[in-house]
Amino acid sequence: MKGGLFVPIIVNLDVMMAKRKISSNELADIVGITAANLSVLKTGKAKAIRFSTLDKICEALNCQPGDILEWQNPAEKS
Amino acid sequence: MWNKTKSLMLSRILVVCFSVMIFMLTFFVPFVADWYEGVSEGMGLIGGSVYVPMMVTLYVCEGLAVWAVAELHILLKNISKGEVFVERNTRCLRGISWACLLAGGAFGIMALWRFLVFLPAFFAVMFGLIMRVLKNVFEQAVEIKSENDFTI
Repeated sequence: MKGGLFVPIIVNLDVMMAKRKISSNELADIVGITAANLSVLKTGKAKAIRFSTLDKICEALNCQPGDILEWQNPAEKS
Repeated sequence: MWNKTKSLMLSRILVVCFSVMIFMLTFFVPFVADWYEGVSEGMGLIGGSVYVPMMVTLYVCEGLAVWAVAELHILLKNISKGEVFVERNTRCLRGISWACLLAGGAFGIMALWRFLVFLPAFFAVMFGLIMRVLKNVFEQAVEIKSENDFTI
């Protein structure tokens, strides 16, 4: 595949944000990233996430990294 | 004081000068071919006049040079805009590499009439290969940059 390998990691950030009733702009402000970057993360376009960013998101949403990131078995998907 | 902007500007000026030279060459190709016919000695697999093969080779190489210069112009324009490691620049380098390799091929065919022409053919192919390696490096750099840009 051109542009890198398919990574079967699903970002459930929007689900967690809905549960905590927090808006994108609010979370972006707390975490200290731009709304555009948060959108990249939410839409699953991100290729990697820094531990520091993950730490801040988990702190802001009061959740575990596993609540935000999910590994989907590619065999199960197809 | 010499700086990166001035260096880039010099490169762009040189590309424009080279484009003008290529354009001028169009009118002098028959004279160059005629001159070469006069000075060269018949050492090659195919005998006879080299006037027509030389003219065809020069015109083909001129076309390839126009292609390479156009790609170089786009490349420099992108660099001046601050877009260095982008997919378009990789395509530019690929184009330049192919232009050099094809020019090498054209000179290689011309070498059937005069063995001496193998020398420019060798240099053109060598330069094409270097550009190809550079293109591969650039491709990797574009990939790394994309990964870096999408690391949140």
